[in-house]
Amino acid sequence: MKKKTLKKFIALTLSMATALSVAACGSSPSSSESNDKQDAQTEADDKADTEADDKEEASGDKIELSVIAAQYGQNTADWWKTFETDFEKDNSGIDINVEVISWNDISTTVNTRVANNQAPDILNIDVFADYQADDLLLPAQDYVSEETYGKMYEAFLEQSNVDGTIWAIPDLASARAMYYNKDILEGAGVTAPPTTWDELTEACKKIKEKYPDVYPWGIDMTTDEGQAAFAYYIWNNGGDFTDADGNWTLNSPENVAAIEYAIQLIKDGYTNSDPANETRYDLQDMFGTGKVAMMIAPNSLPTYVKDGGNEVNYGMAPIPNNNGTSVSAGVMDRFMCFDNEYSDEELEAIKTFFDYFYEDERYSAWVEMEGFLPATKTGGETLAAKDESMAEWIDIVGSCKFYPTAKAEWADVKQGVISAEQNALLGESVQEQLDNLQAEIAP
Amino acid sequence: MKKIIQKIEPYIWILPSVLLMFVFILIPIVFVFRMALSKVSRAGLIKGFTGFANFSKILSTPTFSMVLKNTLVWTVAVVGLSTLLGFILALLLNNAFKGRKVARAIVVFPWATTLVVQASIWKFIIDTDYGTLNTLLMRLGIIDHAVNWTPSAGAWFAWEIACGIFVTIPFVTFTVLSGLQSIDGSYYEAATVDGANYWQQLFKITIPLVSSSLTVSTVLNIIYVFNSFPIIWNMTKGDPGNRTDTLVTYLYKLAFYNGKQGEAAAVSVIGFMILLVCATVYMVATLRKGDE
Repeated sequence: MKKKTLKKFIALTLSMATALSVAACGSSPSSSESNDKQDAQTEADDKADTEADDKEEASGDKIELSVIAAQYGQNTADWWKTFETDFEKDNSGIDINVEVISWNDISTTVNTRVANNQAPDILNIDVFADYQADDLLLPAQDYVSEETYGKMYEAFLEQSNVDGTIWAIPDLASARAMYYNKDILEGAGVTAPPTTWDELTEACKKIKEKYPDVYPWGIDMTTDEGQAAFAYYIWNNGGDFTDADGNWTLNSPENVAAIEYAIQLIKDGYTNSDPANETRYDLQDMFGTGKVAMMIAPNSLPTYVKDGGNEVNYGMAPIPNNNGTSVSAGVMDRFMCFDNEYSDEELEAIKTFFDYFYEDERYSAWVEMEGFLPATKTGGETLAAKDESMAEWIDIVGSCKFYPTAKAEWADVKQGVISAEQNALLGESVQEQLDNLQAEIAP
Repeated sequence: MKKIIQKIEPYIWILPSVLLMFVFILIPIVFVFRMALSKVSRAGLIKGFTGFANFSKILSTPTFSMVLKNTLVWTVAVVGLSTLLGFILALLLNNAFKGRKVARAIVVFPWATTLVVQASIWKFIIDTDYGTLNTLLMRLGIIDHAVNWTPSAGAWFAWEIACGIFVTIPFVTFTVLSGLQSIDGSYYEAATVDGANYWQQLFKITIPLVSSSLTVSTVLNIIYVFNSFPIIWNMTKGDPGNRTDTLVTYLYKLAFYNGKQGEAAAVSVIGFMILLVCATVYMVATLRKGDE
């Protein structure tokens, strides 16, 4: 009998534990929320005591803004933390809560929030068209003050134009150029960096002859960033993703010829051995160790190489082209504002947020923090005045082309061109691949 | 009253686990089915019922049949070969020899390491430019210049399968080993007295008696390997041109790279159905055999 009671007791305890674990799991979102609040509270505690007191008194009237921001690198989270503290100090009526989320998770996180009617107020991410297509966003001019709006490069704002309305504002940009290893080029007898495709082929040939173990040219056609390679070659052959009216022109003769040229470079053995698998970071590593002689990379390459403990005697030049004008590829990220039915005060608070963020000194620091390029004219001027090497890049970024991310089909086009490149690498016809893609995207 | 309590008592005891399964298994499955039958916007909002539109879209692409074939090759090759090798290894480890404990511990290593780490290490070993395999062979003087071990999509897939086998073997080995240890030694003594040779003992005693362990490990492995994501994702991401994609990596790309969550859910449902059928057929067949 005693034994039976003991058994019952154990069973009861175990089942209670299980039930509790269910309850705990069920309530985890709110408990994590309270953790967040605790974190926020801890941060607030760091501030001056008097301020904390003020906060407590005024907390009832405070306007709360939730911000989700992409994590660009090691310094992003710290930067935002300082921003949050400074902002709340200078704007006592507004309480912002910034969550910095890695690129791997940010889309999933935002989508989950949106699906649960918990969209953030402000989002910093790369693309906006999907949210706009679902009518989730506010037009940019509703939540950005005129002065701040006027600071942005026109060309950048245009990237977020759908049906004549601008839906997002650029937070920073990055552009690409050709980097080359001066020592290898000189050693191989290439006197000047190639500017045309013919010169590029010639340079590759010379390098290959002189240094059989070096890959003369780096190409990345991976799922990570294969669309960039597509853009480099078509843009520098007079082609494009769309025509002037915005119709898809994926299989234009210029595009086909451009990709065929890139594939030929690979077939001739002038590139890294596995372009479908070697990402730009792999190439940057190889550039750093002198294994790759030339590659197209963003302005952060020198820092990347240095951080990797390598040293290269490098030079920078425009991307080689086949039609007389070199086009650089630009990448731009954005801020957008979800339509959470704001009151006038809340909209004002959001405007204040952006005014504060784009204030020239602060904005320059933001751009410099991870080695990007500014998306505002005033930011550009400030940075160019500070750093000469930056001036060159600011010219490039002012004239570069962007992916057509404002178009709803972009995600499919992006994966489609990567797949076309990879299939071409496997020996299939570029023309056929791009014809199929064009038929699929614009039937 | 006491009778009623006695009658419902067992159900109260199993209620927590039923609840657990309901919350963490059944509800997500229902969600996936719902998504597979809905039009889902790129931002993840469900925009109404579409019937089997997602399924027909998926089934009409040539990529899907290729991915399905890859998944079959991947699952059969990894589960088949790792079961065979794991079984042999278990037989070896069941013998008494010096250092057996150490040997058993070593066998656990691949299992104890996360798959992401395993896959990254394998990728590093076979890397053309910096790989340790090339370095080793060059130092030993077997080759004089770096060999590209992954010249084709097929080669990549073969390496992935090899990595899959390597990490799956320990599980098979230990399941079988536990089965082997429960076999009474007297069976073998009797067989030896009757003049049975090694192979007769293996096929007439060992295999029949460990078959239930083998069934468990095989069914679990089919499910794990079929759904395995990290090895392929870390080594090739299913590239080039979907040649090394399995259903799981393919649906991940569909959902998070192409933003087609409805179609991704449809692929997920198809995978679920395939697994359900395979596991049921296998379990029923082997358990019935056991009953006979």
